[in-house]
Amino acid sequence: MARLVAEDIAVRFGTFEALRGVDLTAESGSFVTLLGPSGCGKTTLLNVIAGFLQPSRGRLAVDGKDITALPPEARDSAMCFQSYALFPHLSVADNIAFGPRQKRVARDETVRRVDGLVRQLGLVDHAGKLPNALSGGQQQRVALARALAVAPGLVLFDEPLSNLDAKLRDQVRNEIRALQRDVGFTAIYVTHDQAEALALSDMVCLMNKGVIEQKGAPRDIYFRPRTRFVADFIGAANLHRGKLCGGAMSTPLGVLHCCHEDGEDVEICWRPEAARLGGDLSGTVKAVAFQGAHVDVFVSAGPETVRLQVPGELNVSIGDTLQFSVPPEGVIALEASANA
Amino acid sequence: MRNAIRIGLLLAPGVGLVLAFMGAVLYRAVAQAFGLYDFSGTSDGLSLAHWQDVLTTKRFWRAFQWSAYIAASSAVIAVALAYPIALWLRKPFRGSLILSAMLKAPLLVPGLVAAFLLVNVISYHGFVNEFLVWAGVWAEPRRMQNDSNGFAIIGLQVWKQMPFAFLLLSGAVQAIPDPVLNAAQDLGAGKFARFRKIILPLTTKAMQAALVLIFIGAAGDFSFQTVAGPPSVNSMASYMASLQGSEGDWNGAAVVAVMLMALSLFGAIGLTALVQLITRTLGRLA
Repeated sequence: MARLVAEDIAVRFGTFEALRGVDLTAESGSFVTLLGPSGCGKTTLLNVIAGFLQPSRGRLAVDGKDITALPPEARDSAMCFQSYALFPHLSVADNIAFGPRQKRVARDETVRRVDGLVRQLGLVDHAGKLPNALSGGQQQRVALARALAVAPGLVLFDEPLSNLDAKLRDQVRNEIRALQRDVGFTAIYVTHDQAEALALSDMVCLMNKGVIEQKGAPRDIYFRPRTRFVADFIGAANLHRGKLCGGAMSTPLGVLHCCHEDGEDVEICWRPEAARLGGDLSGTVKAVAFQGAHVDVFVSAGPETVRLQVPGELNVSIGDTLQFSVPPEGVIALEASANA
Repeated sequence: MRNAIRIGLLLAPGVGLVLAFMGAVLYRAVAQAFGLYDFSGTSDGLSLAHWQDVLTTKRFWRAFQWSAYIAASSAVIAVALAYPIALWLRKPFRGSLILSAMLKAPLLVPGLVAAFLLVNVISYHGFVNEFLVWAGVWAEPRRMQNDSNGFAIIGLQVWKQMPFAFLLLSGAVQAIPDPVLNAAQDLGAGKFARFRKIILPLTTKAMQAALVLIFIGAAGDFSFQTVAGPPSVNSMASYMASLQGSEGDWNGAAVVAVMLMALSLFGAIGLTALVQLITRTLGRLA
């Protein structure tokens, strides 16, 4: 287990700033996810942590030791690549044993680690096979076993599930989390899939345009987004901008109440599932999408359209007028984004 | 069975033609080596006498060793030089395209022209001697042309063949995905370990192909030997030409030709096995 501290990390490619002063702390044994849209800098940050990229500014430390200038081979980390990056000429067992051999781990210990990981990850029948004889899910497990075989303090995951189908993704995701808890390594996990981030993480760092826009526990990020970007990126959010006076904002749907300080130009948001049927807000149903347990209803009033998530039993049709309410504690005032 | 026949029939026009032409040449050379088809008109029928005549001469074995030495040295040096260049140019950088194009330029220069240019440079009154004498480094010109170690020929072969090895190796090196090399580095492999354990095994086939093709080309060299080689020794090709041209011994020349083919075949097999052995040994080292 290792505690990672990244301070003021910046990376510049020519005139483009890929990272702009990122601060991040991953506590020992925690599962930290770097989440964000394509090009936000999450893989760049992972590459800096792995040592494949040198930051143009900033400092990296693991357990208090400065590792900023260390090459990847000298760091106490191992990476699971998006493309698995297995060595095609080596068998599964040799792939897993590669790291311990490079780190000059004793032969008996290497064999013990390889046997243990092969058993733990269900690869016993495949140990002698070459990677190209395995399915995507099996290759991902080999990549994970290979990373864990060096017993690193820090395991870095670069979108490891993006090449798997939905069912396998769920399965391997659960396996990764269970293994992380069992073995106790610190994990830094890059993904652009918010569901994956929320399900796996102890801490989510939501990145946008080279900075961490918000970091915190998945529940905090979801229920207390600080900026419009976070609210919009994580889950679905209904957003309104206007004057907040006496804890109320007038919208085309009606008056929304919230527990925040008044202001002239305030942006507020609420989640679709916060809506309750019946109340002072109303609009015309523009679209309905039955999702089984719930129904997504899109309601319009004037120029604004909001999304409501209501129980599946509700029977509404397009063109109906729907009355609803949003409790004040479900309405969040947003800060202006540094990247706006 | 029916499928096999169908495939055979489909391949026959292409492969059959190649085999027929190759077979005709091979048959002719082998038959001549055993006394048939002597164009001087004195064919004495099937015989091993020409083998005995050629294989018992010192001149032949000297040519055989010389060609094997030139071919093996040229192949190994060309590949050894091409590897680091291919690795260096693996990732594009400013000017790498021009550099890569320049490295391939020798492929466009005919061997005889290259040998002639080299002679201009290293002859007794060539550029090097004239310059060094003018600069006061040497008091008088030195003899560098037709050196008895064959350095000039090996240099020419390497100059001419290295781009070819570079083409083959750079393709193989570039085909290794970055994440694979990054993964090796991430797991603790330094530069040399990455080369031994990842790059070398994944480019072995290209290296073997480069070694074999350069070896075969250099073993059959005629023009470099004629222009820049030492006068005291023949290459197999120049010996063959001399037997047939000056001495009119068609059958003896055919024996040399068959032995040249044998040298190419066994040299290629030997180099392939050697590469396999070296790759395995290096891969096993911690």
